[in-house]
Amino acid sequence: MKGTAAGRPRRGKNLPLLLMLLPIYLTTLLLVAGPLVYMLLLSFLTRAEGWGVHYVFTLDNYLKILQPVYLNTFVQSLKLALLCTTLIALIGYPFGYFMAKLPPKWRGLFSFLLILPFWTSSLMRLYGWMIIFRANGILDKLLMAASLTAEPLRLLYTYPAVAVGMVYVLTPFMIYSVYSSAEKLDWGLVEAARDLGATPLQAFFTISFKLTLPGLLSGVVLTFIPSMGLFFIADILGGNKVVLVGSVIQEQLLKTRNWPFAAALSVVLMLLTTLLIYLYRRITKVRDLEGLI
Amino acid sequence: MKKILSLLLLLTLGLALLAGCTPKTDGGGDGDGEPAPPTRLNLYTWEGMFPSEVLAEFEQRTGIAVNYANFDYGENMLTKLQAVNGGEYDLVIADDYIIEMAIAQGLAQPLDKAQLSNYGNINPLYQGQFYDPGDLYTVPYGAGVQTIVYNPAAVTKPIAGYADLWDASLKGMLGVVGNFRVINGMALKVLGQSYNTEDLVQIRAAGDKLLELAPNIRLIKDDNLQDDLVMGEINAAVMYTSQVTMAKLAMPELEVVYPAEGIGFGIMAGFIPSQAPSAEAAHLFLNYLLEPEVAAQCFEWLGYYCTTEAAEPYIAEEFRSFLTLPEGFSLEMEMIQNIGTEAMDLHAEIFTEFKTACGQ
Amino acid sequence: MKNRTPLPNLYLALITLITYLPIFLVIVYSFNAGRLSSVWEGFSLHWYRDLLRDRSMLEALRNSVILATASSLCAGAVGTLGAVAMTRLHLRANGLVEYLSTLPIMIPEIVLGMVFLSFFSLIGLPFGMTALIAAHTSFCIPYVFMMVKARLAGMDKSYVEAARDLGAGELRAFYDITLPLMRPAILSGMLLSFAMSLDDVVISMFLSNVNTNTLPLKIYTQLRTGVTPKTNALCALMFGVTLLFGLFSFLIGRSKKYDL
Repeated sequence: MKGTAAGRPRRGKNLPLLLMLLPIYLTTLLLVAGPLVYMLLLSFLTRAEGWGVHYVFTLDNYLKILQPVYLNTFVQSLKLALLCTTLIALIGYPFGYFMAKLPPKWRGLFSFLLILPFWTSSLMRLYGWMIIFRANGILDKLLMAASLTAEPLRLLYTYPAVAVGMVYVLTPFMIYSVYSSAEKLDWGLVEAARDLGATPLQAFFTISFKLTLPGLLSGVVLTFIPSMGLFFIADILGGNKVVLVGSVIQEQLLKTRNWPFAAALSVVLMLLTTLLIYLYRRITKVRDLEGLI
Repeated sequence: MKKILSLLLLLTLGLALLAGCTPKTDGGGDGDGEPAPPTRLNLYTWEGMFPSEVLAEFEQRTGIAVNYANFDYGENMLTKLQAVNGGEYDLVIADDYIIEMAIAQGLAQPLDKAQLSNYGNINPLYQGQFYDPGDLYTVPYGAGVQTIVYNPAAVTKPIAGYADLWDASLKGMLGVVGNFRVINGMALKVLGQSYNTEDLVQIRAAGDKLLELAPNIRLIKDDNLQDDLVMGEINAAVMYTSQVTMAKLAMPELEVVYPAEGIGFGIMAGFIPSQAPSAEAAHLFLNYLLEPEVAAQCFEWLGYYCTTEAAEPYIAEEFRSFLTLPEGFSLEMEMIQNIGTEAMDLHAEIFTEFKTACGQ
Repeated sequence: MKNRTPLPNLYLALITLITYLPIFLVIVYSFNAGRLSSVWEGFSLHWYRDLLRDRSMLEALRNSVILATASSLCAGAVGTLGAVAMTRLHLRANGLVEYLSTLPIMIPEIVLGMVFLSFFSLIGLPFGMTALIAAHTSFCIPYVFMMVKARLAGMDKSYVEAARDLGAGELRAFYDITLPLMRPAILSGMLLSFAMSLDDVVISMFLSNVNTNTLPLKIYTQLRTGVTPKTNALCALMFGVTLLFGLFSFLIGRSKKYDL
């Protein structure tokens, strides 16, 4: 970004600012750029027999991703991510939007209520879902009492259970994104449109939706790719049967000990993330993701 | 909002202070001063390997504080142990094949048997195995086989071996452990092969065979399968000995089957890492574990076959049948050993294929 | 803004309820006398007594709190300074650094875990608290950085300029004007960092050592080996403490003029 600020300071006064910049430059270099470059390098190296890597260039790790079994994993993960992100958007968008319309007092309460669960372990919250989904558990008992089903659904260790877990864990990120976008919305514009005879739906789609689109899209960026990595949800709620890209990476790292292949898989996930961020910027013309908090 | 946040932050800091004030257990200077008695034992193994009374008694007797660190997979442990060059941990308990790798990489130190007065209590059946043929580095701590367990009330066709698990009547009702060598091995056994075959064609064939099993699989999980069986989430399971013990104790009507095709066998053992901060503490602890009464207490808790022969008389009656190897077993058993990288890779691949097929 | 129908409010309430349902169940089962979560075997407090005696659990809690405190403090300092300096001083590399520094919360955790594991072994940084704090700081920085930056963007620049016109130096203007205005953003960024660090499983799984078993790691192991209501009890206690403080401050906030 080129400097456009009016009061741009002169060179001599910049020293303190440069010093202030130093930490973030250093941490970024050491804790983000360096490791990522190493990961890229690792993905082109040859795996050593048994343990570690040989510094011999190869493309095998990437070719391996193209094998049907791993390609299929990517496709399955993408499918699940698509399903979850859609559900998250359908649930989280109205929530964030309605929340922004509340009076400030209530807004405060809801953002407090949303943040509170973050202080408990997400694993334990997933465990709560296990209790719900158990055969003859809470859900089964309720459904059978209401005569909606005749016998236990056995939802635990199924695909829907994994989807619920993902949606549950990731929806708050969508809500925050939409909320912070909707909070900045000039409701006067909506009122004006209504005064000019627009129906509530028309007013919503011509004004509100357009202006909160960055929030929605940023929510998508923040949930889509991460959902492909949440192997522990597939583990706990899916009985290990739903294989995510994250599960494969974890297995390659810890069980098969093929670090270069794990690195290549990670690089592909990174590229997907970058692509999504690029698209986000192209569509919304906004540089920062909305509501990253 | 600001107020909430600052209060929450205060709370945070308060908690941090509080946490900081709780007495630290590490003995400050872990210096190499030889004459000083050890004050701390860094024990590295899975969660739940010892009853807390056993650890507490050791601490009381020796004044050595036990620091119990956990890993989930042996491979993970090996990565870490490698990263610290065999230092930091005093005693590691892990699976046989992992120990073989650790020894091969020079990450283990030979035992000083002069410090192990109870060494003779070990059941010789579990000694001289592939991972430590000369018994230089390890003391066994539990052994197990892979077993089929099912609920006869819910399973219509009796099960005698692995092949029966392919039966369509078990659809969506079977749970298996998560170790791919064990699961792929099941298919290998059904096809009449060895667990340790390096023949890629055979492994591939096992993979295809496994795909037919996929519709029956409800759950793939290394730990705690027995709870799912007891709670009725699954009707049949392939599990480890400790899980079988716990399942039977919780639900005696369960049927236990040693697969007709052959039995996979594994041993867990403790070894001292090459640069262990206190090998002395590790020896003390190993020796303590080999005491008959202590070992009996441990194995009743652990549920694996007791590897300390002298402890067998001390095991309570209700546990004894679970903790000692059934007669004449060793003949049909085969241990899962390390195999070449190519075969390992193919195993990982067919297992991933299998899991993906299960999820669909 | 008047709501014409109660539907939106009902929706908010319903989703919030669903959010809390699993937490509520976890708390309820912490009082279960039996070990399995499938059967209710009567009310009991013995898991709480067990918890207070379980040294390894408390040690894990201590480690987690230390880790979360240290990394949110580091992230607070680095993120704030960076955000302030970047809005005031426009270097060509800023855009890149900004993008890179926010990457850790956008890429899957498993990728971060793998990256740190391999990189730290490469540079010889031993696993343990230092490695954990470094890694956690890196994914905490974005929270602080983004919040402070957003706050600065919405801030009236004229205050700072006025101060500087009156002869205040860069630092002086920063301490007297910018910092107080940013405080809420810094605090909320750090709080979020704290919560994220406290809850991290994946990265900690790769970087912890013998002395640094963290709470989420402990819980993850237990979820696989069999949760006892002892873990429920710990979560219930943590939740209770947070809730108490939260409600307390919320009520204080309500009784005075509300400052969002």
